[in-house]
Amino acid sequence: MTKKNFFQNLKALMLVLVAAVTLEATALVQYYFSQKGIREEAAKRAEGLLEATSNEILDVIDQGEAAVRNNIWIAQWTLDHLDSMARVSYRLVQDNPVVAGSTVALVPGYNAKRPLFAPYVCRTDTDSLQILSLATPEYDYPNQEWFVRPVELNNGYWSEPYIDEGGGEMLMTTYSMPVRDKNGKTAAVITCDISLDWLNELIESVKAYPHSCCILTSRSGNVMVSPAGAEEVRNQPHLSFGTIIERTGWSMTLVIPKQELFASLKRIGLLVGILQLLGLAMLILMLRSYIKGQFRYKALDEKRQRIEGELNIATGIQMSMVPKTFPPFPDRNDLDMAATIVPAKEVGGDLYDFFIRDEKLFFCVGDVSGKGVPAALVMAVTRTTFRNLSAHEDSPGRIVKTMNDNLSSMNESNMFVTFFCGVLDLAGGMLRYCNAGHNPPRILTDAIRTLPVEPNLPLGIMNGFDYKEQEIQLQYDDALFLYTDGLTEAENPAHDQFGEERMEDSLRGRMSATGRLESIKKDVAAFVGEAPQSDDLTLLFIHYLPRTHRLTLHNDINQIALLPGFVGEAVNASKLDPAQAGSINLALEEAITNVMMYAYPEGTDGIIYLDAAVSGNALHFTITDCGKAFDPTAREEVDVNASVEERPVGGLGIHLVRQIMDRVRYERIGNKNILYLTKNY
Amino acid sequence: MEVKIEKGNGEVTAYLIGRLDTPASQEIAPTMNALAEDASGTVILDCTDLSYISSSGLRIFITLRKAAAEKGGRIIVRNITHEIRSVFMMTGFLNLFEIQ
Repeated sequence: MTKKNFFQNLKALMLVLVAAVTLEATALVQYYFSQKGIREEAAKRAEGLLEATSNEILDVIDQGEAAVRNNIWIAQWTLDHLDSMARVSYRLVQDNPVVAGSTVALVPGYNAKRPLFAPYVCRTDTDSLQILSLATPEYDYPNQEWFVRPVELNNGYWSEPYIDEGGGEMLMTTYSMPVRDKNGKTAAVITCDISLDWLNELIESVKAYPHSCCILTSRSGNVMVSPAGAEEVRNQPHLSFGTIIERTGWSMTLVIPKQELFASLKRIGLLVGILQLLGLAMLILMLRSYIKGQFRYKALDEKRQRIEGELNIATGIQMSMVPKTFPPFPDRNDLDMAATIVPAKEVGGDLYDFFIRDEKLFFCVGDVSGKGVPAALVMAVTRTTFRNLSAHEDSPGRIVKTMNDNLSSMNESNMFVTFFCGVLDLAGGMLRYCNAGHNPPRILTDAIRTLPVEPNLPLGIMNGFDYKEQEIQLQYDDALFLYTDGLTEAENPAHDQFGEERMEDSLRGRMSATGRLESIKKDVAAFVGEAPQSDDLTLLFIHYLPRTHRLTLHNDINQIALLPGFVGEAVNASKLDPAQAGSINLALEEAITNVMMYAYPEGTDGIIYLDAAVSGNALHFTITDCGKAFDPTAREEVDVNASVEERPVGGLGIHLVRQIMDRVRYERIGNKNILYLTKNY
Repeated sequence: MEVKIEKGNGEVTAYLIGRLDTPASQEIAPTMNALAEDASGTVILDCTDLSYISSSGLRIFITLRKAAAEKGGRIIVRNITHEIRSVFMMTGFLNLFEIQ
């Protein structure tokens, strides 16, 4: 594992840890509060249940206490009528169904005649009443709890529950109260026995939860009621809630096993835990695949960058295969050229090339079918073949034919090239060319014309195809414009094509070759707008200029003396009759003295350039100065037929220029006056 | 450029020798303009050796011609070369001058 990978994994591990801690903390908090809620709920339920049960018990207790209290005054009365004493108990039992038995027992020694006296009334099995005596030596009632405690307390007392061995093995409790005589002395104890059998049923029915149980214990801690299984419940973790029943001092405890109380919480907790583990596992898996994906993406990205880098190099190589320095022939003034390739992708299938050999300009423009790297490879082959062949072959027809044979014999990928090849004789202006299915170039003279081309096949389609060569005589100032269909088929966002009409509109007006291409590119860019470039775009512009000679003059009239020599040379270089040198000299002198007189006011410095250019059919002069704007052609024509008196002295200069030269044109470009003069052969 | 003036027989003859271009015209203008004083008579401009003339030269010619017209004199242009004749033709000078 690389260092980077390690840190990536460490980061992922940290992320998993943070997620785990967060999840666990959330679960714990939730568990704590749920548990607290469950406890509170259990306490509330237990409290309500205990209170209701307690009230039910107190109801019976109240009845017992009331039965005793209601009979205490009769018992007082019977202290003096012992024979009736049993009737008090009898009535008490008879009137109160909850009471199982009752006695009024004399304090020993209170009545001298009857030291022990305790008639006891209780119910039989058949629910009739029977009277027994508790004053037996075996029973020894004065030492029984129910007798001793109320006397000691001098108040009512509920005895500890006990099993009544005599009366049916029932659980019983006894309420007893001291009976005072008229003097306030405790004379007897009146009691009522209450069966506690119903308590079993009641206590067993107290169920806060299916497995909870209730236990009733007496004041001294003896278990009064304990349902089956209570011990088991108390031996496991549990919650207990208790209450003490008034007067009796009994305590009632509700025991709820924790297992039962928190069983659902535990189940939910377990579920949450499992879900957490699942979530964490998924997080880990996702992180792993994310990290892996990142590495894969990084690997892809590196691959893409490498390809892009190689493509950039390929772009450089491809661009280095075409001449890119403009002007390409700085030492020549008979050619103004510019060319450009704008590939749609990094590399493209368009090409142009040109070079001069033996005073001939060899040039070509081609468009390989398809785009991208495959087209670029074919482009490279095409360009190389063109260079190799044209190094020793002057005929464009033969160059194209041989190229076609070469390309079609090794054309396994069925790619073809539309190709235009031209050879321009720079001395005479004769252009020979051969077109292999390429868009016909335009000739720019005064108008824009389409070069007539034979419908030859593109290169690479048919081995041995006979390509026809054509020729045309170019004139001085003619220009050739070659392009690939990336220009005419450039589309705007609405999928309209730039088209030949817009192209020809862009070709109007005079411009330098470089300016011309920039202007066309600008027009196309404005037309295309936001739409992506769909095809490679190649432009080649060749402006055929006659070779020129230059004479530089200062603003000094004596410089006129330099003219005859210069003009003589120019005329000799042309096809003009040398006898015409004088008149041509005259026209130039007139034009130049005009400049010296009007463009450069007397005494100012200034330079005047006189350029002479020889073309196939004319001698061309250009007079350029940087003086005040002065258009000699705007001067009024002098009337050469006027009489002596009417003839003005001046104005003959421009008249002579017009007479001698075949074409006179003035232009103000920037701060320059330019006068073009042409003398045809 | 050279100008030779000969006077005699009530005639003034000016021999123009060389190229009468603009600088030359400026150079000979004072001499030539002085001939206007003789323009009441006959002034002969001998162009046998005049190989070239520019409009500034023509200006001198027409100035003299106008003076002669005013004073009732004659200007005779003699022996013009082929080149000068073509210039005279282009400028209508053939009609203005007496050519011998």
